[in-house]
Amino acid sequence: MKQRQGLIALAFLAPALVCLAVLRIVPAISAVVESFYTESLLRGGRVFAGLGNYTDLLSNKDFRQSIGVTLLFTVLVNPIQVAVSFLLAVLFTQRAAGAKLWRTLVILPIATPPAVSAVIWSVIYRPDGLANGVLERLGLPAQPFLTSPSQVLPSLIVLLSWIGVGYWMLFLIAGIQEVPEEVREAALLDGAGPWRRMVSVVLPLVRRPLAFVLVADTVSNLLVFAPVQILTKGGPNGNSNLLMYDVYSRAYAIGDIHVAQAEVVILVALTLAIVAGQFRLLRGDQ
Amino acid sequence: MQRLLPAAIVAVAALVAGCGGSPDTGAPATADQGPQTGTITFTGTDNAETYQPVIKAFEAKNPGIKVTYTQIPFDQFNATMQQRLSAKDAAIDVYTVDEPRVSQLAAKGFLTDLSDLDAKVKTSFSATAYKTNHFRDKLWSLPMWNSTQFLFYNKTALAKAKVTPPTADPEQRWTWEQVEAAGRKAMQSGGTKYGLFMEQPEAYYQLQPLAESLGGGSGIEGDDALTPAVETDGWKKAMQWYGATFASGLSPRGIGGFQTGPVFAAGDVAFFVGGPWDLKIFGSSKVDWGVAPMPYFQGGKPVTPTGSWSVGINPASKQQGMARKFVEFATLDPAGNLATTSTTTIIPANLEAQKQYTPQMDKFSGAKTAGAAAITTYESEHTAVSRPVSVGYIQFEEVMGKAFADIRNGTNSDARLQEATRQLTDAWKSIK
Amino acid sequence: MKRASLSVLGGVVGILFFLPLLWVVTNSLRPGSETFANLNPLSWQTFLELRPTLTNYSALLNSAIGRATLNSIVVSAATVVIGLAICATAAFGLAAFQFRGRGLVFGIVVLSFLVPFDAIAIPLSTMFRDWHLTNTFAGLVLPGIGNGMAIFLLRQFFLGIPAELVEAARLDGLGWFGVFRWIYLPLSKPALIGAGLMLFLFQWQAYVWPLLIGTDAKHILGPVALSNLQGQNFTDYGLVFAGAVVLTVIPLVVIAGFQRYFVQSVSSTGLK
Repeated sequence: MKQRQGLIALAFLAPALVCLAVLRIVPAISAVVESFYTESLLRGGRVFAGLGNYTDLLSNKDFRQSIGVTLLFTVLVNPIQVAVSFLLAVLFTQRAAGAKLWRTLVILPIATPPAVSAVIWSVIYRPDGLANGVLERLGLPAQPFLTSPSQVLPSLIVLLSWIGVGYWMLFLIAGIQEVPEEVREAALLDGAGPWRRMVSVVLPLVRRPLAFVLVADTVSNLLVFAPVQILTKGGPNGNSNLLMYDVYSRAYAIGDIHVAQAEVVILVALTLAIVAGQFRLLRGDQ
Repeated sequence: MQRLLPAAIVAVAALVAGCGGSPDTGAPATADQGPQTGTITFTGTDNAETYQPVIKAFEAKNPGIKVTYTQIPFDQFNATMQQRLSAKDAAIDVYTVDEPRVSQLAAKGFLTDLSDLDAKVKTSFSATAYKTNHFRDKLWSLPMWNSTQFLFYNKTALAKAKVTPPTADPEQRWTWEQVEAAGRKAMQSGGTKYGLFMEQPEAYYQLQPLAESLGGGSGIEGDDALTPAVETDGWKKAMQWYGATFASGLSPRGIGGFQTGPVFAAGDVAFFVGGPWDLKIFGSSKVDWGVAPMPYFQGGKPVTPTGSWSVGINPASKQQGMARKFVEFATLDPAGNLATTSTTTIIPANLEAQKQYTPQMDKFSGAKTAGAAAITTYESEHTAVSRPVSVGYIQFEEVMGKAFADIRNGTNSDARLQEATRQLTDAWKSIK
Repeated sequence: MKRASLSVLGGVVGILFFLPLLWVVTNSLRPGSETFANLNPLSWQTFLELRPTLTNYSALLNSAIGRATLNSIVVSAATVVIGLAICATAAFGLAAFQFRGRGLVFGIVVLSFLVPFDAIAIPLSTMFRDWHLTNTFAGLVLPGIGNGMAIFLLRQFFLGIPAELVEAARLDGLGWFGVFRWIYLPLSKPALIGAGLMLFLFQWQAYVWPLLIGTDAKHILGPVALSNLQGQNFTDYGLVFAGAVVLTVIPLVVIAGFQRYFVQSVSSTGLK
């Protein structure tokens, strides 16, 4: 019985597995292979370097700093985005006038071309820009934002959350809508307060969509590079030098594909470790 | 006539090939020249209108050859070309080459050797342009455009601050010290927010002259041009001064990209260092302004940036003959070279074309641009210093760009240059 | 009363998210020379223009944006249709069956979206070159159709569908494809829309890939055309923002159009 089920399941899975293998896994393997080679421009030609690219990277101060920055960023950005997305999803699933319009506006930033999002936020964060304009109106001192080593990462997190939370909210709304209305109404009649209702009734019921959002958001944030590339180039002093940006600039701007692929392997290993941890955590929750 | 033409082309091609006489194997003379007529593709990063005039002129002169232009966005141009050239993509015949990248592209085998044109190139272009298109004593690309930098000043603000503005005369070039003092006066009583601003405040192209003016060198040395030299006294002094202009508020932090020019156009800065394109762009500004030569450091020598795009041929192209005709027309033929600049504000590299082009620069924005032509000619003959020729230039530009950004944001410049030396040593280790 | 305050809160949040985009829309209706003119001090002119001009939009007609938008619609639509079929069947295979190696298959799916596409784009484009897929619509669509994250998303929602429902249907003689088609799909409309949006956005924002496989003017996509509006030494942001508005309107229509499917709880009505 189980074997027959396996065959049927395989039939359903086959088209996707072929696509993933050919379009993702095979090029990924070739990337791993490239990471063991090096190319000399002075002598010409590609030579096997073994783990040379990896040891070079790990002994590089900037690269180690980049890993630290990436981990700090991951620890900060994901809980914030998941929490805000969840709160927004709860807000926009209440029966209230205009909810459809408002939540469309919240989702919209994900549809904006990334290059334009970066221009918008460069204008917001300029010393004479919109954010300092607002602070001035409120009687607060001007802030350096992207030019300050301590404010650059929080500034990027705000920018990325503007882009992303509406998107992740969408999946949580889908999850909340799956919760039968009677259950939600019953909780309301019970007289449970809005907060308690949210935590005790809604949260467990959207467990699976929430797990998806947590994992997918974490992965997406580990692969962010466009705003860094356009706004900070990893600075000041490497404080926004996220790994994926480093990979991107190495592979595309500098053209050092071999070291870039070694860096990708390390990045994927790091992502895998974090995601595996999340899965374990979520399983323990069940 | 129609029949005769291909024959004539063959004859010319044979002649050109014969003149080459390059002893190297794989030289273009022995390579297959491909068909005489057909369509060649030209890939660059400017918008399509830029090259319409030169393509039209070329097609009129060469019936039977059509040129299709493909635009690739600037930020992806180098990466895209790198990938497609290394895949021997024959769909690229001719492409634009950023001059400092000539060595790397040549080292990777992405350019057809054009050394048989060496003598012609030597007489048609400036010595700096001739030099930068060479790598390992061979010619790899033909210079198409040239550039320089000007000091733009806000006339109204300087008048309000009772400062006599600089003149366009290169002999009376201002020093950075003078600019700084005048800029501060303009901030105090001229009504500008800032005193001085560079168009590309984190770009090596614009900052190299600061260090060179103080005798600090280009930042690269050694036989293989892969030894960092950014901690010379000149570099240190230049960067100390540069960092201080931001720390003191003379220049603004946090404004970059294409947002720097509008700061001058809006009248928010007294002095602005920018390129020839600004001569037209600032024409629409409500501010009254003028141009002067780029400043130098007191006690140092005047140095200005130069260089722009060249054109080269993809060795994987199966239409070498036609491709070569086109690159020669767009660069060596003065009329063709001039046509590449007719819809954009950039200086043609061909000296003959330059002679016809520069006088117009005085009138790009009416009386405001008076003197721009003389400055351009003077700089190209006396002060232009090109970016260093090195296979590691790309890494160099990347590392230095980040160092400039950090120095701008307040990092100690001496320490940051030391850091840059380490980063360059690391980056160059992998290509040595 | 409580409903009204929720509306107000929702409205404030919505407008705050929209404000940066309003700045873009406003400046697309101004000449490019004035883009950065009204930043400081902050005033209503920063976000509103009383004398709007459509010159930027008419200038767009001379650019490749029109054709690029159409191409992007074609490529994105094809990706959504094919991609949803592939990803939904795969998610069904992972959610509805118990078999040995299920964990392994799921692991491969997860791994496939951990690998950054921009990093494998370079070797993948070499493969596509060998298969003569450069400069074709197929070459543009293919990388988008197998999306591990969309499979993961749909699996999560499919796991929530009660097994009793499937057993009952099986006893009634429904085949496995019937179970997929008549039970799983109708009960997962919001998730399918979410997955569709994910597949759509992957293509709508495709930038590096189309360049790597050497697409010509006929196959140009929206983000490339938008980027081509920027110059090397100067950018007319009025024009760029007009292009960005055009490229944002299409997803806006798609998102707004699908909003109604989110209103009703499908499973609660479908189950009973």
